[in-house]
Amino acid sequence: MRAFLLRRLVHAVFVVWGVVTVVFFLVRLTGDPAALLVDQTATREEIARTRTLLGLDRPLHVQYLDFLRDAPRGDFGLSLRERRPAMRMVLEHFWPATAQLAFAAIVLSTVLPIPLGVVAATRRDGLVDHASRLGSLFLQSMPSFWLGLMLILLFAVGLGGLLPAYGSGTLRHLILPAVTLAAAPLAQNVRLIRAGMLEVLQHDYVRTARAKGLGERRVVYGHALRNAAVPFLTVSGLSLGFMLSGTIVIETVFSWPGLGRLIVQAVPGRDFPVIQAAVFVFAVLFVAVNLVVDLLQGWLDPRARVFERSA
Amino acid sequence: MTSPSRALLSAVLLLLVSLPSTRASAQAPPSVDGVPIDPEAELVVALTDDTTNLDPRMGMGSIRSNYIRQVFESLVDVDRQGKPVPGLALSWKPVDDLTWEFALRKGVTFHDGEPFNADTVLFNLDRMFRKNLDKHGIKDVPAGTSFEKIYPFVSRWEKVDDSTVRIVTTEPAPTLWDFLGREPLVPRAWTIKHGVEALNEKPVGTGPWKLVEWKRKDHMRFERHDGYWGTAPLTKRLRLQVIPEAAARIAALRAGQVHLVEAVPPLDAEVLGRDASLRVVSSVQKLACRIYLNGRTKDKYESGGRDGVYLDPRVRLALNYAVNRDAIIKKIFHGLALPNASPIATVAYGYAAQAPYPYDPAQARALLAEAGWKPGPKGLVNAAGESLTLQLLLPAKHYGQAFDETVAAVVEMLKAVGVQVSVQTLDFGTLLQTLTRGTLPPNGGFAACRTSNNLDGDDFVRDWATTTLVNWTPYPPELLGLYQATRRQVDGKKRLAALADLQRQVRDWAPVVSLYQEKKAYAHSVRVLRFTPTQELNMDFRGVALRR
Repeated sequence: MRAFLLRRLVHAVFVVWGVVTVVFFLVRLTGDPAALLVDQTATREEIARTRTLLGLDRPLHVQYLDFLRDAPRGDFGLSLRERRPAMRMVLEHFWPATAQLAFAAIVLSTVLPIPLGVVAATRRDGLVDHASRLGSLFLQSMPSFWLGLMLILLFAVGLGGLLPAYGSGTLRHLILPAVTLAAAPLAQNVRLIRAGMLEVLQHDYVRTARAKGLGERRVVYGHALRNAAVPFLTVSGLSLGFMLSGTIVIETVFSWPGLGRLIVQAVPGRDFPVIQAAVFVFAVLFVAVNLVVDLLQGWLDPRARVFERSA
Repeated sequence: MTSPSRALLSAVLLLLVSLPSTRASAQAPPSVDGVPIDPEAELVVALTDDTTNLDPRMGMGSIRSNYIRQVFESLVDVDRQGKPVPGLALSWKPVDDLTWEFALRKGVTFHDGEPFNADTVLFNLDRMFRKNLDKHGIKDVPAGTSFEKIYPFVSRWEKVDDSTVRIVTTEPAPTLWDFLGREPLVPRAWTIKHGVEALNEKPVGTGPWKLVEWKRKDHMRFERHDGYWGTAPLTKRLRLQVIPEAAARIAALRAGQVHLVEAVPPLDAEVLGRDASLRVVSSVQKLACRIYLNGRTKDKYESGGRDGVYLDPRVRLALNYAVNRDAIIKKIFHGLALPNASPIATVAYGYAAQAPYPYDPAQARALLAEAGWKPGPKGLVNAAGESLTLQLLLPAKHYGQAFDETVAAVVEMLKAVGVQVSVQTLDFGTLLQTLTRGTLPPNGGFAACRTSNNLDGDDFVRDWATTTLVNWTPYPPELLGLYQATRRQVDGKKRLAALADLQRQVRDWAPVVSLYQEKKAYAHSVRVLRFTPTQELNMDFRGVALRR
């Protein structure tokens, strides 16, 4: 287990380094930020002066070596647009705004699907099953920005300001954006659990468990669900990426001051240090969550542990 | 009755008469136009975006101005009609052809108590022109406007006394009061003590609002500056709330969670106007949207040895005749825009109305033929076997949906007179990069808008005087001479006449395809009293009240 963890951590370091390196060069291919910082009536000389002030006239390899020297210390440089430390800006927007939103959406989209999926599978072709399938289809096919606006119109305008239309800071502010962000993955997970359960419930060991006289609840939640949950868990780990990118749309609709909106403005604004710091944070998060998912999979399914050992 | 007795009786009577009214006035709630208001309230205004910084040196674009001008003020202020009025300067006048004198307002202090005086102005001029920065011990910043490059003729500035400053130029500069006077001024001692970086955190200014809290990308909260010298705010607090999505802004207004929203889309403005609990107001802005065409000679860009296809003014004029502006303004903007054939915005000083470009496709074709582009197969026009083409770069989603729709409509209108147009959508940064490198193709053009932070129209007609990002049709020598004459003419009337002449000639020379000038719509709750949108880039909340 310790060797496995160590190996995965070494992998993680390389993955994060690879990602930030690729992004370092890619963002510089997208163009020169200096022209975006001056008036449109600026001359080439004025733009060149701005480039020098920002240190962007130095050779690319020098910039990269400086980046490699400073980044491990968390120093990603100053934002080109705000002239503040890029990592500080990223962390300010990540915590608590994006973290709260992503956490609430993850909880909603991973906890709720379990009973919904199980009930749909155990009452196949019943009313609950049909309703769950129809609801899932509806939530998955609805664009999140549209769903968000509809929820605002209903809960903020139609129901006399029951929930706030914008902003952050309280639980009431969190409800609409979290529900909107969770809607599509929640629907997907309900369908995954349902499909997994339908398959697992046909297996011999389930019949054996029932033949042993175990109660239906114990059979379903104690035996069948554990196996049906493996693909669900894998997809949930991967869907973290969806959640983080999904926050970009949701944060715009609900004026949520999170990391998504910071990135939305940093990319077209060619704010290299902010983009790099944000990608670094995303990469670390993504790698960490998937590591946790791998460990959980090993716990749920001993075959995964055997595979890891043999690998 | 003796005189003392009469005096005593008068005093008693006066006391009896005045007591109730004194009590009444003490109890009467404050009101505006007879409507009781809540002076302790917070005015919540929804804006499209947050500013990236608060240091005026880093740029005064339309988003930044809304925040910066609540805190900082300039020598020259603007009234609701767009006219220059005394701000931190009580008056300004040319002492001679090469010297301007500003008489400063006395008794003004920054929010931290630092006095505003001549030293403040000199310090700000040093920052603007990048002089003596080491002496002050402050850093340079990537500036939006390089004053030392645009106004190299401003040679020195000096203090006459604590409330008088003189600025000396090497050539006559009739618009100096505007291009220097409109720049917001930061405190001297505070900036030296805290560093220029601190201007980007929680700065102090002389303005009507004190910055209390800035939660980036979310909101900025202000409190009334009780020591303010001018028209005081009538609410205790102001909150500028960022709500980027137009539909969400409007929903927040209808839900009563904000009092006022900016940038209402044209179609929504019509709908909101029918709501009795809301008011929709609009103001003409300086934002002029255009199609810029490559009219540079081959030595002025990375041309591959070819002059710009749109070097001939007749071709550019023809393209202007091909555009049906009335239809665009009616169908896309629902009236929230106006046509303007002058290069200067209608609300800028020195604007002279010009004959509109008529929508006349037949005349457009005739002009093209006169320029050598004859009708050819497939409805296209040709010269020497080559079709007239336009490779149009469109920074999609940068200026808003109405702009994108307008460009799409104009493309079809240009095709209708025989121009083969291909549109390449790209992000704004990539467009600027192309323009910086000078790699616009010979048949290239781009759609963009420009506005101004100044009051005088000089800012607009300067566009074609030097090689800049947006200048792809430099003035021919005779127009350049005329333009330079307007910059040196100190006699006000003569200058206005020269500017009018320049505008007429530029209208016929047609450096760009003029599309429209923007009117910005705002919607507010009926609780908001005395809100008048300005023609400037910022909103002004001085004197705005909330009904109790």
